[in-house]
Amino acid sequence: MSRPSKTCPICESGNRIIDYKDERTLSRYITERGKILPSRLSGMCARHQRQLTQAIKRARHLALLPFIKGHGR
Amino acid sequence: MQRKYEIVYIFDSALEEPEVNERLDRFHDLLKSPDNAEPITGIAHWGKRTLAYPIKNKEIGYYVVAQFEADTTLLSEFERIIKLDDTVLRYLVVINEGLSVNRPDIGDSAEESDDEHADVALERDAVSDVPEPPVPADTEPASDVDGEEEEDQTTTTSGGGE
Repeated sequence: MSRPSKTCPICESGNRIIDYKDERTLSRYITERGKILPSRLSGMCARHQRQLTQAIKRARHLALLPFIKGHGR
Repeated sequence: MQRKYEIVYIFDSALEEPEVNERLDRFHDLLKSPDNAEPITGIAHWGKRTLAYPIKNKEIGYYVVAQFEADTTLLSEFERIIKLDDTVLRYLVVINEGLSVNRPDIGDSAEESDDEHADVALERDAVSDVPEPPVPADTEPASDVDGEEEEDQTTTTSGGGE
């Protein structure tokens, strides 16, 4: 049993760094509720997954992304 | 030691642009030093934006991104003054990793990603069209009606039995 090979979407796009201000890209890697997708689902390599979590947390602080989606409003 | 930083401010949207600029000038004056007269290397006003969640009961913020080079010792006083200003809803200072100050969803990169998105969306549509079995919407309400009728019958029969 081997997992289907996935390639990191950020490596493929040629970017080295994930921008915390790029909320449109980041929003593809959060769940409906606003949780960060695990690398198992995002398909990212370890380096970019670490960058992704950091970037999403910064974006949340700046109210670019919600901490919890669909809560309140 | 000089370092490159990036800061994102979120101002109260009630401020007009001159008031924002006045505050930015005041903050950025704090970063000036004898050997670095022009600390600001880039600045971008994103303008008013809806916040993802309310901050201080405000739904809209005025975003400004700036990149600067400053001595590490100046930073604590700089941040202290920003914290004292009530019109700054949020701010974030990070090490500048060579990212652009502009909003990433505006410009060339946005167009490219749009194309990618469109392709992916089309593929998804094509895939999702095939496996979706033909489930007519009429069946569900019809079955509901049946269920109600059956319930009615059972109640009447049980009533009759008693």
